[in-house]
Amino acid sequence: MSIHIHNISKSFGSFNALKNVDLEVKTGELVALLGPSGSGKTTLLRIIAGLEFADEGAGSIEFHGSDVTNRTAYERKAGFVFQNYALFNHMTVAENIAFGLRVMKRPERPSREDIDRSVTELLRRIALEGYGNRYPTQLSGGQRQRVALARALAVGPQVLLLDEPFGALDAKVRKTLRKWLRQFHDETRVTTLFVTHDQDEAFELADRVVILHEGHIQQVGSPAQLRENPENEFVADFLDSVMI
Amino acid sequence: MAAIILHQHRSRPRKATSESPFSRWLIIGIAVVFMALMFVLPLVVIFQEAFRKGWEGYMEAFDDRATTHAIWLTLQVAAITVPLNTLFGLAAAWCVSRFQFRGKRLLTALIELPLWVSPVIAGMVYVLLFGAQGLFGPSLKEHSIKIIFALPGIVLSTIFVTFTFVARVLAPQMEAQGQAEEEAAMTLGANGWQMFWRVTLPKIKWGLLYGIILCNARSMGEFGAVSVVSGHIRNKTNTVPLHIEVLYNEYQFVPAFAVASVLALLALVTLILKTLTTTPRGAA
Repeated sequence: MSIHIHNISKSFGSFNALKNVDLEVKTGELVALLGPSGSGKTTLLRIIAGLEFADEGAGSIEFHGSDVTNRTAYERKAGFVFQNYALFNHMTVAENIAFGLRVMKRPERPSREDIDRSVTELLRRIALEGYGNRYPTQLSGGQRQRVALARALAVGPQVLLLDEPFGALDAKVRKTLRKWLRQFHDETRVTTLFVTHDQDEAFELADRVVILHEGHIQQVGSPAQLRENPENEFVADFLDSVMI
Repeated sequence: MAAIILHQHRSRPRKATSESPFSRWLIIGIAVVFMALMFVLPLVVIFQEAFRKGWEGYMEAFDDRATTHAIWLTLQVAAITVPLNTLFGLAAAWCVSRFQFRGKRLLTALIELPLWVSPVIAGMVYVLLFGAQGLFGPSLKEHSIKIIFALPGIVLSTIFVTFTFVARVLAPQMEAQGQAEEEAAMTLGANGWQMFWRVTLPKIKWGLLYGIILCNARSMGEFGAVSVVSGHIRNKTNTVPLHIEVLYNEYQFVPAFAVASVLALLALVTLILKTLTTTPRGAA
């Protein structure tokens, strides 16, 4: 599913987090939102998910051609993976993953057996078979991260949004999970956006990288394009400084 | 040499903030004596007086229509007040912890109002509003609705006094927990109701229970506010605390203390439940 963001602005009080942002993400793409902290990347991701609403005005957001600007998060059902995972600590891993299926309206809700089957299948895909009865607090950071991802994927979202997905993990786990996510994306081809402040991560994983600074999109392009043709001083500077 | 090493081994390193043994024992001693005099001794006295004429004398105190009626009335008041204030408290805590709005600080202050306003004033306000000479007095009389000197008045003033407990416990807790889990539930397609029952409530249940226990204890024990609106009509509007005062003023010491011991027991049970609900248990 494609995402079309047109002229979105967002202010918190007198602070302008986003200013006239335009962005198009094609179906099946893996896109990174890259920028220093405070650049507005998480705000943009939350606006796409419907967890935050853009300032009233000209802006609009379309999911696959249909306008979702005024839809709530609950209606948009974009898969969202939170920075600190936001797992339900009072539920087991299996219950966490099944949550999205269990809250469906009765006519759409799969049967108990089907839910169990999907949960088992997802546990297998995140390499956590046999962990279904554990609680999130009994898992390592990398395992929680995968559970959060499985929970988001269980409802079969057409967009996957990840906020600093590897931010809280140590370097080694981060590398492994990165590879795993890329592979996972190649298999499923779910349109994916992820926020990061780590240039390596963005360049290694993404098809295209969006560079944000002070609420403005500075440049959008493939890793190669960005490296070879930085459009402005900030992009050149930012990429350079992180490269060292 | 060996002695020096031994000495070093024995004396624990003193933290910069720790007191000398003397002042430590002095402070603990004062606290213990104070607690014994102010809390434990009165409790002992209550039970001692209540059992002055033995177990039978104690039980006799409850074999009295006015007493059983007072207990029944108090249970009724609590049964109405506690659920309502649980709802109000949840709503207020939700409001304060989840939304930014103008007047939020005023609302936060209002939640604590019952703690710094004398309960007598709480009672007086309702008399001025709903009493015979009050603002709504005439129209209430016209429709023959009785609020003051009746159950509604007692409930109203008890609600006023005990409103604060659930909200005060929950608001800081909900603020600290943040709402990432609620947001996660929303992106997974849960509606507001499902979000509350499946995600929010399990997170706050211990705090909520704690608030409810405190609210219940206070609603059964409230004297001042209820005293103003109830009119002290025996067998009609006397709650347990008011009834104890009546018994005491009539020099019926054993019954007075016997009934008082019930409230004291309630306090002890509350204390135990409070400890149970606040001890960290799988803090997850």
